[in-house]
Amino acid sequence: MGYNTIVLIKVIPDLEQIKADQNGSINTKNIPLRIETLSENSIEAAVQLREKHGGKVTGIIFGAQESIPIMKKAYAMGVDDGFVITGYQGNNPHLTATVLSKKIKSMPHDIIVMGNQSADSYTGLLPGMLAAALGYTLIGNAVSIVPVERKIRVKKFLESKNVDVEAPLPAVVSVAQEINEPRLPPVMQIMAAGRKQILTESVTPSQDNSVKVISNTAPKSERRKNIFEKPEEGIPAIAKVLKEELR
Amino acid sequence: MKSFVFSDDQGLIPAIATLARGLGEFDAYTAGSASASLSRYGASKVFIFPEANLTDAIADLLSAKLVSGEYKYGFIASTVNGRDIAGLISAKANVNALAEISSFQDSQSSVRTKRFSFGGKSVLEEESNARIFTVAPGIADPKEVDHESQVEQIQLGPSKISVISSEDKKSGGVDIEKAQAIVSIGRGLGNKDKLSVIEPFASSINAVIAGSRPVCLDYHWLSEDRQVGLSGKKVRPKVYVALGISGQIQHIAGMRGSKIVIAINKDKSAPIFDECDYGIVGDMFQIVPKLVEELKK
Repeated sequence: MGYNTIVLIKVIPDLEQIKADQNGSINTKNIPLRIETLSENSIEAAVQLREKHGGKVTGIIFGAQESIPIMKKAYAMGVDDGFVITGYQGNNPHLTATVLSKKIKSMPHDIIVMGNQSADSYTGLLPGMLAAALGYTLIGNAVSIVPVERKIRVKKFLESKNVDVEAPLPAVVSVAQEINEPRLPPVMQIMAAGRKQILTESVTPSQDNSVKVISNTAPKSERRKNIFEKPEEGIPAIAKVLKEELR
Repeated sequence: MKSFVFSDDQGLIPAIATLARGLGEFDAYTAGSASASLSRYGASKVFIFPEANLTDAIADLLSAKLVSGEYKYGFIASTVNGRDIAGLISAKANVNALAEISSFQDSQSSVRTKRFSFGGKSVLEEESNARIFTVAPGIADPKEVDHESQVEQIQLGPSKISVISSEDKKSGGVDIEKAQAIVSIGRGLGNKDKLSVIEPFASSINAVIAGSRPVCLDYHWLSEDRQVGLSGKKVRPKVYVALGISGQIQHIAGMRGSKIVIAINKDKSAPIFDECDYGIVGDMFQIVPKLVEELKK
């Protein structure tokens, strides 16, 4: 009984620690990794589905060798089985979709849950690419997921509307941050998670040079940066600017 | 060479259409009831789908037209449905897609684009064979043309999605993306009651009040549709006043297009002071009322 839910977990560099050097070049080497916020929401959504409806939650990370320990956090939050596929070569959603769809097809699944956009690249393209690669329906930006027999009912948040839709299973559901508040696992669960086995496999993706990076630099701020540390000087100056600009 | 433009939010069509027009002929696709202004941006044809949430059927229709060569490029507004559709088309048509582009240049064999990466910390300039793009707001200043496009309702093929119900979001009744002046508040406000200090200032400069992600989504001091940031609205007012906003990169990404940025913050080292034209280091509750007085003079 229940539903087999697969949750896709993204591991990203800690963005707060990414800095530009003097030339404005961005260094992403040796930046600590962390679980993407929306992946935590996705895990929470998947675990809640199991708690309410039964079934099993399988986590998949497609990342680098260093991402393997991140699965422990997913285990602590309630993921039953975890797979880490290494060989991730950076942002190439086509390739990511192909690798993930192959893995998903190799295991039982009804619902695939993932974040709707990731905080590093914000492409938001992967859910669609994955759904197309799998041949399943995609429902995007979900704030509630309710399976009803062999269908799924989802409330999705759009920019100016909230819409309830229904689709047959299997389906890919991407979640919005508003869907839930990810749980903080109790210490006992964290300790148990540390002892749990993580299955790994690696892929060697073929080189794809169809998107070439010309430059990757910090955006230049061309603002005037006229900062007043004495409010009594700043107030009249800013009032003047406001009057001139908004005449 | 022809392109297509898609946006379920009709308000985003003018800017994207202006970009597409610079490349040659294009058709525009949207959903819902057509507003009159849609036909004024130079599309060869404006096609209206009955429903924007049937993303599978929309992607089927548009990817077939990309594969057949009817369209070389597709420019899709970066909305929830738009991003889903862009991903679906990219995989179905087996073409590369690039997301949230803020600049586009076409040459014979490739395209050159720019987009933000690492949460807005860097700008990636790329050269690619991509044919599908989601487009960040403000990619072009909308310009009307002097002839009207033909508007046509079209049906979609089969969809596995059924729309059960739809409700409009609770909104403050404002569209912050169209505002000329915005007073934006951050966590530094402290609590919702303190909005009463900010309101007289906002009304004195005819500004709408907007806020950072925590203010709108976590604390609900303001409605969701007033959130400025990477995951919220991208605004381009003449004047953007940031009050008690530290200036996290995700917030900056939503207001970078503002003409003049003014910041008031207690913390001298707040990153917002690197992203503003004028700033005052100090307590907004002291400064804002004085600013209102000064504006009366």
